[in-house]
Amino acid sequence: MKAWRLALLLGVVGLACSAQAKQLAVITDSANSTTNLTASELVKIFSGRTASWPDGKAIKIVLRDPSSADMQVAVRKLFNMTADQARAFVRAHSDVIVVADSDDAVIHLVSSTRGAIGLVDLYSLTKGVNVVKIDGKLPVEQGYLLKGN
Amino acid sequence: MVLHLSSRKTALIGFCLLLANAAAFARKNSPDRPMPITTKSREVRRLLDEAWRLNLDEVQQADAIEVLRKAVKVDPNFAFGHLLLSQCSLDPAEQVQEQQKASANRSHAGPAEQLVIDWFQNAADHKLIPAITDMNEVLNQYPHDRWVVFLANWWLTQQMQYDRAVAVFERSGITDSPGLMNNTAYTYAYMRQFDRAFALMEKYVAALPRNPNPQDSYAEILRLAGHYDQAIKHYRAALALDPRFYSSQFGIADTYSLMGDEKRAREAYRIAFQKFPSLPELHLIQWQTREATTFVREDDYAGADRAFQAIADRAHAKAMSQVEADTYRQMAMYQPEQKRALALLDKAEAAAHKGQNAMPFAIQQELAQVLRARVEAAVKMSNQKLAKSALNRVADMAQRSDDKVIENAYHGAAGAVLFSQHKYNEAMSHLEEDSNNPLSLRLLAIAYQKVGYGSEAKRVGETLANFNDATLEQAVVVPAFRKCYQDPACDGNFKNAALKK
Repeated sequence: MKAWRLALLLGVVGLACSAQAKQLAVITDSANSTTNLTASELVKIFSGRTASWPDGKAIKIVLRDPSSADMQVAVRKLFNMTADQARAFVRAHSDVIVVADSDDAVIHLVSSTRGAIGLVDLYSLTKGVNVVKIDGKLPVEQGYLLKGN
Repeated sequence: MVLHLSSRKTALIGFCLLLANAAAFARKNSPDRPMPITTKSREVRRLLDEAWRLNLDEVQQADAIEVLRKAVKVDPNFAFGHLLLSQCSLDPAEQVQEQQKASANRSHAGPAEQLVIDWFQNAADHKLIPAITDMNEVLNQYPHDRWVVFLANWWLTQQMQYDRAVAVFERSGITDSPGLMNNTAYTYAYMRQFDRAFALMEKYVAALPRNPNPQDSYAEILRLAGHYDQAIKHYRAALALDPRFYSSQFGIADTYSLMGDEKRAREAYRIAFQKFPSLPELHLIQWQTREATTFVREDDYAGADRAFQAIADRAHAKAMSQVEADTYRQMAMYQPEQKRALALLDKAEAAAHKGQNAMPFAIQQELAQVLRARVEAAVKMSNQKLAKSALNRVADMAQRSDDKVIENAYHGAAGAVLFSQHKYNEAMSHLEEDSNNPLSLRLLAIAYQKVGYGSEAKRVGETLANFNDATLEQAVVVPAFRKCYQDPACDGNFKNAALKK
């Protein structure tokens, strides 16, 4: 028997086969006053067409490897590219995009870099960063842009 | 947003610093100290250790609950103790009261314990992002603390974040905790990584060779993998070690039921109830429900109604609103007559609205499940208006909440409605979000087949055919699906004959 199997909820279907779709949170450093971005603003940032925040601070993008499974939803919806194309794009823009090797590293870099914006799995979030809404929605809300496998 | 090309040079300098920062982060050592526990009583500390052993290592849950009750009696301000008791209690009223006491005594706890209390309170209040940040904060501070690792592993598994739950265990470096081996093995089993689950079970059995729970857990995981005969052998091994270990006695009955031998299962339940007349309330209801489900597996709906009604009456008498509601919901699900199903769902909703002795979030989850069942009934009646009305209500709940159970209920309901309208592509995107529910998996398998995704249909079909969780949903969907799946003659349009129950 597993400890605490029945503790909270009775009768709801058991856990048996697969994990839920990933939700990527858009994060900025805690000094950034931007709380919401439209989907098109976000696409412009990640495609390099927007390079600074409204206060003039340069935007720095922090990502996981675009070919990793966790980043596929971002590759599709923000870069509108294949994983290989996104990798090449990131390499070509290494002055503004850095690839970190874990969500923890993304959060650490974003929290300690003014003007940084990053993408992490919802369940990696910590207190040191701001979570930015997309089109007024947080990652936990219906219709959130960066959700999927 | 304004484009400033001149910012490139600044960005480059910034990035040199950024990369140096990344290297420093990678070198940072993880702390290995345990989370401080705030109590002046040495007795409470001793009891907490005993609760760990009983609750986690040996899974003697009823005994562990008694120990935690003693601990909070010795130190009524022991907030962390109240929290643990709220989470592991088998009495819904106690769960509610202890959660309140944990929050009320928060100021007596240390900073890390406060984070844990906030994490579970935020989770209970459907505030998922603060719950996640609280969890990660305490995990970052105490990644090797056994309680923190256990709580994170357990909560993430509840959230269906299986990869992450396993990662918490693996990163903890704790290799000698039987309790953590046990829970992590279950997480691997939910991921259908049975080789890893069995490997951990071997270690768990070796760590506690005289304890029945390792054998019991091994049996359950074997059963999840479909190895029924081996499962029964391990249940019997657990009972040989401790004839009072009731979980194994009932586990044998559950296994017979999943094997389709319902008469033998009921006899096994009868013996188990006779042998263990005073089970904790939620365990009693769990196995009464499974016994009632044996009638559903035999299509004996009158027998099932009698058994489920007795459970609902007991829950009503004991003012356990969620249990009562859930029992009526389950009754509705197997009804051949949908008007009767809807009447039962009315009762379920009325019971849930009473909200007695249940966490508010659990009542909301139940209401979402009831609405989802209402959609299923309406679809069976081809009553699109009723289906849409119930769907709108559950959609509204999902919109206002970040609860996974509610969200899954919405996706399952939306998928069922779209499927009934032959909008397979749209249905698929919803059904994929509810892929732990056999009702959705069945529709998903057919939808994939309809749109020509043969390999996906096969994958989902195999998952469904190997679904061995002892739930009512499994009983309603899987045996019929499996029968057709294994029958070469039953092959038309992804074995539609079996799928249309």
